[in-house]
Amino acid sequence: MRSENRGARSGESADENLTPLHSPLSPPPVLLYTLPPAVALIVVGLVWEVWTRASNTPEYIIPAPSVIFARLFEDPVFFAGHGMVTLAEAIGGFLLGTAVALVGATLMAHSRIIERSLYPLAILVKVTPVVAVAPLFVIWFGFGPFPKILIAALITFFPVLVNGVTGFRSVDPGALDFMRSIRASRRQVFMLLRVPSATPYLFAAFRVAIPLSVIGAVVGEWFSADRGLGSVIIVAHSNLDMPTLFAAILVLSVMGIALTILTSVLERRALFWHDIELGSDKFS
Amino acid sequence: MNSQAQPHLSASGLHKSFDTGDGRIHVVDDVTLEVAHGEFISLLGPSGCGKSTLLRLIAGLVGPDSGVITIDGRTPEQARADREIGYVLQEPALLPWRTVAANIRLPLDVDRRSKSLLDWRKKVRIRGSRSNSFTLTSILSCQGRGGSDEPTLARHPEVDDLLEMVGLDGFADYYPHQLSGGMQQRTALARAIAVGASLFLMDEPFGALDEITRASMRYELLRIWEADRKTVVFVTHSIAEAVALSDRVAVMSARPGRIASIIDIDLPRPRSSEMEREPDFLAYTSQIHDLLAQRAAVG
Repeated sequence: MRSENRGARSGESADENLTPLHSPLSPPPVLLYTLPPAVALIVVGLVWEVWTRASNTPEYIIPAPSVIFARLFEDPVFFAGHGMVTLAEAIGGFLLGTAVALVGATLMAHSRIIERSLYPLAILVKVTPVVAVAPLFVIWFGFGPFPKILIAALITFFPVLVNGVTGFRSVDPGALDFMRSIRASRRQVFMLLRVPSATPYLFAAFRVAIPLSVIGAVVGEWFSADRGLGSVIIVAHSNLDMPTLFAAILVLSVMGIALTILTSVLERRALFWHDIELGSDKFS
Repeated sequence: MNSQAQPHLSASGLHKSFDTGDGRIHVVDDVTLEVAHGEFISLLGPSGCGKSTLLRLIAGLVGPDSGVITIDGRTPEQARADREIGYVLQEPALLPWRTVAANIRLPLDVDRRSKSLLDWRKKVRIRGSRSNSFTLTSILSCQGRGGSDEPTLARHPEVDDLLEMVGLDGFADYYPHQLSGGMQQRTALARAIAVGASLFLMDEPFGALDEITRASMRYELLRIWEADRKTVVFVTHSIAEAVALSDRVAVMSARPGRIASIIDIDLPRPRSSEMEREPDFLAYTSQIHDLLAQRAAVG
């Protein structure tokens, strides 16, 4: 797709026949991207299984994958229930953090003074380790889901803010000139030009922020919870119940993978007009 | 042409300079220019002679250090507010997330109450030869296609007219990245026409195209322009392009950018690509070539 784009830009085709250079997009070769990592994963699992069995490693140190899966399927409702709690907290936090970040980015993209006054505060939020404030949130906001959502929001806030500001400013100067030549209002320039221009940057931020939001939720649960995978991990840890602990970690990994895939799918849908390469990351 | 009552565009004593790291550069130096209604004038000169800056001054995107620009007796800012300026750039600068039709519709979306396109359609109907028929068919076809399923995607009949005008009918639902450079530039042209402006400012619109596409786009532009002869100020550094398109060519010199001489191109219209092999045409191109060569030797 990319190489064809290049051809289109340099205008190599004769213009007269007006044939499109390629038809509307075909889906990416899914197997090409899923098969190699699946094989690698299976190999790692097998090595792990064989190694724990061969070395007689005790279950309370490292359980074999077969033991972990057995624990998982022994009580799927337990893991699914706690998983849903953590997932809801993570998504809630992500949405809250993103909403606040987008409002901030909009203000900062329009006014240098607001940017200068708010940016140091945003950096302060970023450099403060979330783990350090988590116990504080428990004291302030109690044991319910709210402090977890807040921690997840806090951790997602910064990447979305930074990429939002960059994105809102990264408009094609020619398109901006044209919008000015037809006297588009600031609001119209923002809605018609800046927001769509920012979407690639925002999705890059989302790909970083979504796994972070899961981390935020789990950290929140460590400090004060009777529900959620974070609390499952803490309880299993104190009981030296490694199969449960590993099963919880596995569920969290699967959750992270699912959320990342979901983001990628949405990104492909939203950014069909944009060159996307797997692994490219504007945020880094 | 200049003897007509009031010029469409008049610029007098324009100066513009920019600060750079190593001093002030005088980009536009004492430029005085009058352009009549319906005239096609080219600004021709080497890179860095201030052609683009002059165009941005006329569009009111930058202000002059001194001098006055009037467009039909108004300032460029007023003309812009009245949507009298259609701007076409070297890069098509389309919005990649909008289809061809939606890109063309952009000026209409920005100004919903725009009288502009209706105005333009009236004029075309009076002057254009085949306009009646295609207005009618496009209204019919719009009812057939757009209306019912999704109102937000419904196409303006005007947009269909414009698509046909620039030779992109059938490409309404394509995205810019699916088009060749020439087709992208046609879209940009249609978008500028949709503004409903009476004055078109074109900044090397074919500059990013390959030579073959570029040569055919010239006559495509003329064909569109012949329909209702809006005023065009066309910036280029191609001598053949300037001669082929223009009623007059303003030859500019670089550093400081000023108009060295203005040459009337007295070639019959409508023009075609065959004309480029005729002696009259070649006489003009070599005359301008000599002028530019002299300038280069002096500078």
